[in-house]
Amino acid sequence: MSHVVLNGVTKRYGPHLALDAVDVSVAKGEMLALLGPSGCGKTTLLRCIAGLNDADAGTVSIGGADVTRMPARKRPIGMVFQSYALFPNLSAAKNVAFPLTVRRRDRKDTLKRVEELLALVGLEEHGHKLPSQLSGGQQQRVALARALAPDPEVLLLDEPLSALDAQVRTRLRDEVRRIQHQVGITTVFVTHDQSEALAISDRVAVMNAGRIEQCATPPEVYAAPSTRFAAGFVGNRNTLELPVADGRVTWGDAFDVEAPTGERALCLFRPEDVEIGADGPGLPATVDVKVFLGAVTRVYATHEGTTVFADVPSRAAASLEDGQKVFVRVAPEHVHVFAA
Amino acid sequence: MKSKLGSRIFLALLALYFALPLVAALLYSLATKWGDTVLPSGYTLHWWTDVFSRPEVSGALGRSLALSAATLAIDVLLVVPAAYWSVVHNPRVGSVVQTITVIPFAIPWVVIAAGLQLIVKDTVPQLFGTFWLLAAATAAIAFPFLYWAVENALIAADARRLSEAAATCGAHPMVTLVRVVQPAIRGGIVSGALLVAATAMNEFALAKVLVGTRYETLPLWSARVFTSRTGNDPNALAVITIFTFGLLFALSALVVWLGRGRTASSTLALARTSSSAEKG
Repeated sequence: MSHVVLNGVTKRYGPHLALDAVDVSVAKGEMLALLGPSGCGKTTLLRCIAGLNDADAGTVSIGGADVTRMPARKRPIGMVFQSYALFPNLSAAKNVAFPLTVRRRDRKDTLKRVEELLALVGLEEHGHKLPSQLSGGQQQRVALARALAPDPEVLLLDEPLSALDAQVRTRLRDEVRRIQHQVGITTVFVTHDQSEALAISDRVAVMNAGRIEQCATPPEVYAAPSTRFAAGFVGNRNTLELPVADGRVTWGDAFDVEAPTGERALCLFRPEDVEIGADGPGLPATVDVKVFLGAVTRVYATHEGTTVFADVPSRAAASLEDGQKVFVRVAPEHVHVFAA
Repeated sequence: MKSKLGSRIFLALLALYFALPLVAALLYSLATKWGDTVLPSGYTLHWWTDVFSRPEVSGALGRSLALSAATLAIDVLLVVPAAYWSVVHNPRVGSVVQTITVIPFAIPWVVIAAGLQLIVKDTVPQLFGTFWLLAAATAAIAFPFLYWAVENALIAADARRLSEAAATCGAHPMVTLVRVVQPAIRGGIVSGALLVAATAMNEFALAKVLVGTRYETLPLWSARVFTSRTGNDPNALAVITIFTFGLLFALSALVVWLGRGRTASSTLALARTSSSAEKG
């Protein structure tokens, strides 16, 4: 059952169309990632759900109730900001208690709830500290606990990890997922980092220029992008522009696939789907350079001035030499073709 | 090494330039007689006890303090919510207010006072020549100090983001202003408020034009004593100069101590206002 439903949500900033009639729904307990480059409208969309931005057109409903005209403070949401936005004069515990005290909850219950939440985010020992005495990762945990404190129906996360360094980010990312699972809360998560989106969400909405290009599970978005933008934005891909002949597009003996109408087509395929072998069949090419990445080695190979890269298991790549003649092929089901 | 020595000499000269008039005034307020010698020929506290025992002086001091308090109250009640609104809810208002803050510096205060005089005479004659007209006018020329301090504090504290966070926590805007924003910008409010109080304490032109002898503030009293032929009393003036400076300096020191360095720039500005007013 859909818990959060957005219908034709449109938002303009002067002549700029930030959201172009966006329809999306989030199921109860689901984690949806809004993924896209900066300026694509993902944060605006999240702020429309939060009530921090008013939509110019369209409706937002949470739990079946239309909240389109409801101010943020009355919506059943909790939100975590990129810049933490903790109240600097209040201790961590008082920050977490804030949503409960403004709702005039019972003092005893509040204390118990704060303790529970600080334990949930692993900060039992730090409740008395001011935000300025906590690290970035700890501050973001406090912000998460504060957002969860009033037991909201929806948790909104606005690039919660992007201000943190890489190591903390990965750890906290997995922890956000654990907590979201444990609490079972419907969550919308904004990020520009595709690995983050693919790693922890149930579904990913790929956004571009105020629209949702594709909304699907991470494996689907990764393996079967439905638009050219989604194909180019998610994951590393080889992109070749090739001529179309008789409704098909071919790259020598590397692949031969069906093409859309038009004179030229754009062929995208992932480096892990490129096979490189010392023997045919395939398109003859020359190994330019190998980059060791651990489990896989990225091999760059050129055929008549066109270079593709392939991720080859490092054991197999060990037998390839720079300058070696090889054969390149891609299984047709792995080539995604779009009109150029 | 050489440039370090040079900068030290420069700083020492600067300090001397600012300190000499004050030292001279201090010595004068304590001198029995200071004629053709480099330093006074003797020292006494007579002028200090004498000045503060005069009812006209304590009256003027009381009136100046009352003016300061009223000006401060008007400015804090009007400017803090206005600055909050312009920074947090409607940044477009901010640029308009920024322009308005320049007016008291662009137009001589005497002109502002004369303009007010004319308007009030025709519209609300009951206010003409009253304390409240003076307080309102002083509030209007002193408000930029408070506005700048509060605006900077709001921006530095990221009050906009804090207000949004409070809203998503379910807090009413008034609760947000009092419990979240106000504590985060307290340093800015205090330092701006002190600048307003100092300006009101030292303001001369508005008081002279708007109320004159009907409400003699300390600067008006000083000017009267300074220009009077019969009652010329330089020692008493020196006492009042040092007293006012000491009062404002103590307040600035208090701000520095309360703000623990966060409001240092505003305190410097306060010291500048008070010393320029002394010279004026």
